[in-house]
Amino acid sequence: MDRWERTDEIIDRIEQILIVLFLSSMILVSSLQIILRNLFDTGLSWGDSLIRNLVLWVGFIGASLATREGKHISIDVVSRWLPSLGNKIVTLIIHLFSIFICILLTYASLKFIKNEAQMGEATFLSIPNWVLETILPITFGLMSFRFGLRFLNSLMIVIKREMMNREGDQK
Amino acid sequence: MTLSLILLIFILTVLGAPLFVVIAGLALILFFTGQIDSSAMIIEMYRMATTPILVAIPLFTFAGYLLSESGAPKRLIRLTDAILGWIPGGLSLIALVTCAIFTALTGATGLTIIALGGILYPAMLRGRYPEKFSLGLLTTSGTLGLLFPPSLPLIIYAIVAKVQIDQLFLAGILPGILLVVLLSAFSVQKAISAKVPRTQFKLYEVFIALKEMVWELPLPLVVLGGIYSGYFAVSEAAAITAIYVLLVEVVIYRDIKWKDLLGVMRKSMILVGGILIILGSALGLTNYLIDEEVPMKMLELFKAHIHSPFVFLVVMNLFLLLVGCVMGTFSALTVVVPLIAPVAQAYGIHPLHIGIIILTNLEIGASFPPLGINLFISSIRFEKSVLRLYLSCLPFIGVLLVGLAIITYVPWFSLALLK
Repeated sequence: MDRWERTDEIIDRIEQILIVLFLSSMILVSSLQIILRNLFDTGLSWGDSLIRNLVLWVGFIGASLATREGKHISIDVVSRWLPSLGNKIVTLIIHLFSIFICILLTYASLKFIKNEAQMGEATFLSIPNWVLETILPITFGLMSFRFGLRFLNSLMIVIKREMMNREGDQK
Repeated sequence: MTLSLILLIFILTVLGAPLFVVIAGLALILFFTGQIDSSAMIIEMYRMATTPILVAIPLFTFAGYLLSESGAPKRLIRLTDAILGWIPGGLSLIALVTCAIFTALTGATGLTIIALGGILYPAMLRGRYPEKFSLGLLTTSGTLGLLFPPSLPLIIYAIVAKVQIDQLFLAGILPGILLVVLLSAFSVQKAISAKVPRTQFKLYEVFIALKEMVWELPLPLVVLGGIYSGYFAVSEAAAITAIYVLLVEVVIYRDIKWKDLLGVMRKSMILVGGILIILGSALGLTNYLIDEEVPMKMLELFKAHIHSPFVFLVVMNLFLLLVGCVMGTFSALTVVVPLIAPVAQAYGIHPLHIGIIILTNLEIGASFPPLGINLFISSIRFEKSVLRLYLSCLPFIGVLLVGLAIITYVPWFSLALLK
């Protein structure tokens, strides 16, 4: 368990670095394009493609971090009125469901990439399309992993509490 | 089988499953029963990357987060205080104006109540405003300003409904002002009857506050000037705004230290990720629904029962208020708009007018009991029970509904600034 948590922390650091790197280049390349277009009447032909892909990468990395921090947007209606054990069980079910959907999405995006690799089209600077698209399965894979970790964590809490209750009863 | 699965997903939604999981789950079920390969859903999701104005989302969000973490909210409150403080009910006007400006810049994501509420709420209590009034005002103001550029919901609406973003920005300005004016009139009248003490107008205080804010004052010009002078596209204006705010807050005011910048980038991009992944999943779902001609079928159903656009708009508004209250602004935008916008257009309503009506509904829905998100953010921020906030918000929601009726039935407000 600890080993997985540590792995997750290392991934988190890499993601943090990538976010800073990509967001900064997004801002820089956008500004460069504006300067080139308005002052010199020219521009980087691959600039706009690069920016759009940077948005996608930053967004998906952000989404994967949102999973780690439990910050996904959700409609939270019932949990406010549920007792704490009921809440824990609901959380377990939701995490299980999220793992399931994310695994399906990982599978679907891997298939998508395989198709794209076979078509062999390239975008800017002759980078093959599928290379840029790898962020999709990576994100969904990471999300499955992180929902899994969160599931195990909440399961441990429920079990521990249950055991403490039993011990309490025996005394 | 399919129906019971969909029902199960609805239950999980209400229990608090992440919305993107729910939307993607629905899409996968429909693709599966329609015997379409699930990778088609990923194709739709990746299509997001071909939208040119998409880059405006991370850049404006980053700029908004920087502003909210800097001293800008305090400076803005000081300036509006110096200008408006002498009017009866001045502090409530300050709250309305600063919240509106701030929401436009940070994109109606709950940041307004968190960043401004903490300063304004104690100030209002000290100024002897009734507690109930202050709570209601600050809660409903959490999304006030959603109609002003460059708010995130406007950008997302333009992407989803495929309307011109610069036109939509213009369309939102007068309706946005209308809502602020209506709430201001209501607040001033309330403040007079509650005999709130006034402060004196001091010209030198205005000058000091102006001087203090001198670098942030050109921001509206940076955001909008370039777009409407024709020099920049919206995405370029977003890049300039991000750089400008970065320079002002980090280099000139030094409110944010370089090492804190990393945290701001992370926080803002987590929010962007949360929104983009919902947008991406919704693209898969709604494209399927459009292929299945669901909007057409909905239109037939509506046309069979409702003939006048007038009645249709009443029904649409009620439906949207409910959606905004239950689903929240971003998921409502991505899922509901592609279905309902074509229907409304078939009733002869101008596409940009539809956009403004929908966004106004979502703005109000965010404070609408029992589930509007603003109520819960306020409940946490001000440590009050949600029930108490329901009661405080009702009069303000009443005023906003009057505004909604005017915006809905007087298209002039939305269309006057367009060519």
